[in-house]
Amino acid sequence: MKPPAVRYARAGDVREAVALLAEHGSDAKVLAGGQSLVPLMSFRLARPSILVDINRIGGLDRIEQDNGSLLIGAMARQRDVELSDVAAAAVPLLPQALRYVGHVTIRNRGTVGGSLAHADPAAELPAVVTALGGELVLEGPGGTRSVAAEDFFTGTFTTVMAPDEVLVGVRLPRLPDRTGVAVEELARRHGDFAIVGVVAAVHLADDGTVDLVRLAASGVDSVPVRLHAAEAALSGARPTADVLEAAAATVDASIHPADDVHAPASYRRHVARLLVQRALGAAVERSGVER
Amino acid sequence: MTIVEPDRTTYTGTRVRRTEDPRLLAGRGQYVDDVTVPKMIEAAVLRSPLAHARITGIDVSRARELPGVFDVITGRDLAAVAGEQPVIWFPIPDQRIARTHALAVERVRWVGQAVAAVVAVNRYVAEDALELIEVDYEPLPVVADLDAALAPDAPKLYDDWPDNVSGSLTYTAGDAEAAFAEADVVVRESFTHGRAFGCPLEPRGCIVEWDDFAGTVDVHLSTQSPNLARDLLSEVLGVPVHKIRVRTPNLGGGFGNKFDFYGEEVIAAVLSRRTGRPVKLIEDRLDSFVATSHSRDQRLDFEMALRDDGTILGLRGISYGVLGGALGTVGAGPPWASVLTCMGPYKIPNLDVTVKAVVTNRSPYGSYRGWGVPKANIVHERLIEIAARELGMDRAAIRRKNFPAPEEFPFFSGVAFTYDSGDYAACLDLAMSKVDELGWRDRQAAARAEGRSLGIGYSFHIEPSAYGPSRILNLVGLAHSGFDEVTVRMDSVGKVTVYSGQINMGQGTHTIYAQLAADGLGIPMEDVVVVTGDTDSCPYTGYGTGGSRAAPLGGAAILRATERLQAKILRVAAELLEASPDDLQIEKGVISVKGTTSRSVTTRDVGDAAYRRLLNKMPESEVPTLEEVDVFDPPNMATSYGCTALLVEVDRGTGAVTLLDCLQAHDCGTVINPMLVDGQLAGGLAQALGGALLEELVYDEEGQLRTASFMDYLLPTAMEIPPFHFFHQETPAPDIPGGIKGVGEAGTIAGVSLVASAVDDALSDLGVTVTRFPITPPRLLDLIQAAQTPIGQTPTGQARTEEDAR
Repeated sequence: MKPPAVRYARAGDVREAVALLAEHGSDAKVLAGGQSLVPLMSFRLARPSILVDINRIGGLDRIEQDNGSLLIGAMARQRDVELSDVAAAAVPLLPQALRYVGHVTIRNRGTVGGSLAHADPAAELPAVVTALGGELVLEGPGGTRSVAAEDFFTGTFTTVMAPDEVLVGVRLPRLPDRTGVAVEELARRHGDFAIVGVVAAVHLADDGTVDLVRLAASGVDSVPVRLHAAEAALSGARPTADVLEAAAATVDASIHPADDVHAPASYRRHVARLLVQRALGAAVERSGVER
Repeated sequence: MTIVEPDRTTYTGTRVRRTEDPRLLAGRGQYVDDVTVPKMIEAAVLRSPLAHARITGIDVSRARELPGVFDVITGRDLAAVAGEQPVIWFPIPDQRIARTHALAVERVRWVGQAVAAVVAVNRYVAEDALELIEVDYEPLPVVADLDAALAPDAPKLYDDWPDNVSGSLTYTAGDAEAAFAEADVVVRESFTHGRAFGCPLEPRGCIVEWDDFAGTVDVHLSTQSPNLARDLLSEVLGVPVHKIRVRTPNLGGGFGNKFDFYGEEVIAAVLSRRTGRPVKLIEDRLDSFVATSHSRDQRLDFEMALRDDGTILGLRGISYGVLGGALGTVGAGPPWASVLTCMGPYKIPNLDVTVKAVVTNRSPYGSYRGWGVPKANIVHERLIEIAARELGMDRAAIRRKNFPAPEEFPFFSGVAFTYDSGDYAACLDLAMSKVDELGWRDRQAAARAEGRSLGIGYSFHIEPSAYGPSRILNLVGLAHSGFDEVTVRMDSVGKVTVYSGQINMGQGTHTIYAQLAADGLGIPMEDVVVVTGDTDSCPYTGYGTGGSRAAPLGGAAILRATERLQAKILRVAAELLEASPDDLQIEKGVISVKGTTSRSVTTRDVGDAAYRRLLNKMPESEVPTLEEVDVFDPPNMATSYGCTALLVEVDRGTGAVTLLDCLQAHDCGTVINPMLVDGQLAGGLAQALGGALLEELVYDEEGQLRTASFMDYLLPTAMEIPPFHFFHQETPAPDIPGGIKGVGEAGTIAGVSLVASAVDDALSDLGVTVTRFPITPPRLLDLIQAAQTPIGQTPTGQARTEEDAR
């Protein structure tokens, strides 16, 4: 489990990182927290010829509010976001979901951008960004562009990013006050990638009807899945048990789980539906509380 | 760094902290990969990607040309200078023994079988070179599992065998057929335990230096059995034993896996001889999942006959051992041991039990803490609970009814083992009383009222320990001994060194040996040093550190040696004090006339008299020096036992099981150090709970291992393991000086059936019976859904739907 020889370049700024990527094309890999890339290299499953280290680029680790949205730099460590008051105030779903990412020592090193760019369909951060309709900010030779989360992930470990683009940050819409959030996961162990994960945010209008619902699932397809049909079933309705059940019943048609060594697809379907119901129930219960 | 302990005069039975810990906790332990030998080079092994194939060609020329590579060998190179891998357990008469060389020669029979090896300037270059070796394989049909192996038209792993059965052996007692004919109730079930392994966090590793001038082979090896490794290296390499030295550094866990003898030791030796350099060969994590012994893989089809008052009349069945593509060091030992212990703690007069060992295209089967006994425990504990349900009896009552009474010991189990001593009913009662005290039943009732499903499970286990009487082990098919030898030496300043052939791999052997030696001699524990792990300086132990031997056998040998050494110390002191030895006492290393405080000498004075200034001090009749050697070969084994209880919660929606609380009432005879016994019990239970719920080496139909990393092979962490509470009962072992019984495997034996018992209880309204391990969420959900759906079923009692359970 020793990686093959690899060259290493430390980028001083994003422009330099982009130039290095442009020079080396798909032979190059960006090194952020290294929590997925380095083990893959040791397994010799990833064999970049050059690593472009973006750890020393200044300003990529910000966590700040801006015009009703939360901006997180790609190099913000997962643990810092988890403990950030700014993040908790704007998007409380985020710190709650981060607690399910690996373990503290992994989150100390792992970055928000690294997890999103790695695009593991079972991971929590891609599901949160997808649920909330976040935008990913990419910088390439031609400048900066933003991509909506649902367009960003294209398959297992793949995204729309060009080989010469760097993910520099993610923008998440601020959730209104009194939004209830919930994360429901079925994992074999604490800290594992979940067999199925569901993230939910629900806000109730003064009349008790749902005026905002955001819902996504992980582990049920090659990409994180925004559960639009379930959201539609809940939107504008009073969140009674029947309504939650009806919303959960739509999940089956929205997901395409696969069999793997931990669970067959049929089990994932069953659990996804159940966890959607539980997550929505918990989010509704927690809504209406001032933060 | 030292540990400050309270002032004590005796140590046995007290919670002395481990002398090993300051070094280990400070990160100053030295494991085999920390050892560097001058001019050492590093090897790596190329492994088969296919489960069954003929090797039609190997081209190593490009690997040889890579700068930094010293040598590349294939199976033919190795077979020219080394024999086949040894097997030491032959319990089944006329068994077909499938052996291979450390590197496959013509055919591979499991994914990960070693095919070639490279040694290079470092491991990075060695792994680069592995990628340059080209192997041509001609795939053969794969025998992926037990059913495939036993199918009438199954492909054969060994062309000269009639089928894939390595051997079969039946034990009978009484008349099982008559017992089943006259029984009021017969319960039967097929139990499956998936593959698992000990998975020591430090994988295996060795450094071998073959000195062709001296004809010596110097080995640093992460092993539990240095004497066995030396003997087996001698057999395989043709080097006499006295020219082989095996040293073991700190071990980062062994769990039985490092008892076995592996091909890597031989590969490194051959590479060292060919290159003239010391060769380090470390098993990395990727290697370990396919190259360290697998275990547990068994199907057990058993039935139990009972009278309607719960008396067990008979037990019969087959234990299928799902062996790998070649036999490991211990052959079919573990599945065989399941048959020997399948009656557990119960009096079962009529037995008809069979072991059938079957080869498949999987990694070789070997030792893992508990050996066959955890699966035997599944048989007797699951069947007795199923019978209790059938008979409407209380689970404790039916167990109590079938225990041998304390006065019935020594108790012959019907097959091989004679249990030495015990009060099983008292141990059961102790556990039940603690379940009450901890309020589990109230928690269960309260949870049920909220629609949650809590269950309480029980397991009564026996642990045959102190393996074992050498001649009996030979008789049942072991090509090795079971005695233990120890040397206790007091030096010229009155300090003591204990030399043992046992190994310290985390269980605190050095601490308990120092406790026993200090008490045996009457000296402070700080005056004792324990030395293990070097065949040149340490005595011989039969077997190795396994079979829960270190405390009872090594301990007994220390007690016997120190008793004689103390007598000599007192004789020398008597000369110094001009008193009779019978009138002397020794406490904290000070020897004085009993009942007086005036005149005394210390062990320092005695050491000086025995080694340096003998004139007028050392009795003329005494041989100089202060040393005793003891060899203890037990007349019988020592059978520990315990009753374990577990509180779990089952999520009926997902099939997930959460472990809430766990207790064990336990009897391992004389307790040397309660803290270390608790540690052994807890560690074993954690492994069993992992095996019951999480850990599985999953093979697909092509014989590919699908769980070959920590992403997929799920060890339990502190987050999954419940709190433990331990309660001790002490029934001394009558055949072991000191009354000590082993305790190393208790938890692993008790813990698997335990989880099934608790899950069944949580789902008692549904009538779920867990028979397959590990109990994964999808498997348990299948059982729940199957129990909920039958048409016409009318759930009774506390029946709830899935909806209610949320």
